[in-house]
Amino acid sequence: MLNLLVPQSTDEAASLVASHAGDLRIMGGGTNLLRYVNKTGAKHVMAVSGLGLDGVQKPDHGWSLGAATTMTQIRREVSIEALQDAAAGVGGPAIQNMATVGGNLFAREPYGDVAVVLLALDATIVRGGDKQSLADFYAEWGSGDAPTGLITSIDFANPSGGVAYVKRGWREINSATVVCVAAHVTQAGGKVTDARIAIGGVSAHPVRCAPAEAALKGNALDTASIAAAAEDAQKAVSPSTDSVASDWYRKRMTGVFVRRALEQVT
Amino acid sequence: MSKKLFNLSINGRDEGVVAQPMASLLEVLRDGLEVNSVREGCSQGGCGACTVLVDGELRLSCLTPAGTVEGKAIQTLDGTADDARFQALQEAFIEHYAAQCGFCTSGMLAAAYKLLDANPSPSRDEIVEGLSGNICRCTGYLPIIEAIQAVAAMKIKAA
Repeated sequence: MLNLLVPQSTDEAASLVASHAGDLRIMGGGTNLLRYVNKTGAKHVMAVSGLGLDGVQKPDHGWSLGAATTMTQIRREVSIEALQDAAAGVGGPAIQNMATVGGNLFAREPYGDVAVVLLALDATIVRGGDKQSLADFYAEWGSGDAPTGLITSIDFANPSGGVAYVKRGWREINSATVVCVAAHVTQAGGKVTDARIAIGGVSAHPVRCAPAEAALKGNALDTASIAAAAEDAQKAVSPSTDSVASDWYRKRMTGVFVRRALEQVT
Repeated sequence: MSKKLFNLSINGRDEGVVAQPMASLLEVLRDGLEVNSVREGCSQGGCGACTVLVDGELRLSCLTPAGTVEGKAIQTLDGTADDARFQALQEAFIEHYAAQCGFCTSGMLAAAYKLLDANPSPSRDEIVEGLSGNICRCTGYLPIIEAIQAVAAMKIKAA
């Protein structure tokens, strides 16, 4: 059976990660990891829930979440508006008590909704003591294995523009993700100055959609530009088929839900 | 990893059990301690039949390694004889035919208990959300919701 490591400090945790590298998997709530860990060939599971890595802080102009902050803790901080819907969509009450925001960054499709919103919000992480943008983290992940290293916190600034999050699942509550979309759009003088469109359910980890973002930038956020962005997003994604949805359905739903997200951005 | 002796607090009693640290709390409760009210439905966190309370909060025992709950207070249905709200819920489940095969019932009762703890007068939508982690294959959920509405109307305080 797997070996369980329960470090007593973040320093001990970091040194265990460094010494065991690819043989070790980090467990937040375990709600995603423990379902597949036996297939990874890992030898060790390291629990980080007792290290004081949970907790929400509000520095100037934004939020800092300890990586072990649970969905329930996020939902109790109702002023973190941007994450409320995504956190509410993660499992049911018991899973929300267990699942962590750090774990959500690694959650394999068809899960990982909160990570999609964080990507659209240009979140940064502290991993192995170093600060990194979440976008760079996922770029490093690419199509290979998830990067190693202990993530201790996730930060993001208050969104400067309008934010929307939509999800296509199979149940209204507690559903795996067919696709989900988070959009953050800033506008000035009636034109889009910046856009972030992040999509979940179409790849091993959340992805930004550069073509859809480009379709909006410099244009008014209207029916025409939204339709163009939705069509570009649908063309750009290459989803897989799993027990939740087929690749063609995910592709079609990408177009629909990018459109809906952009229509809801205020 | 070899087995070790764990001291777990189960329903207020200290229990020693020998298990692998990565063995699930579900396995330890059922196989190690014969706490049979906890059910194994899916072992994946999808059905809620294994729901217990750890330090007063709902947790899925199938996804909780035994080595992570030493020193925490674990509660199952077996420790609820003195709790007025649990008793009322169990009686309401019987009256409203909210259990058929009974497999989901332990998990449903735990979820219902915590729901009423946090929200003594839930709306129907709030009851549905409170039960959203528990799957039932028999009842179609309506009798379970009605049983909870009935108990909420009684405004019982927990013991």
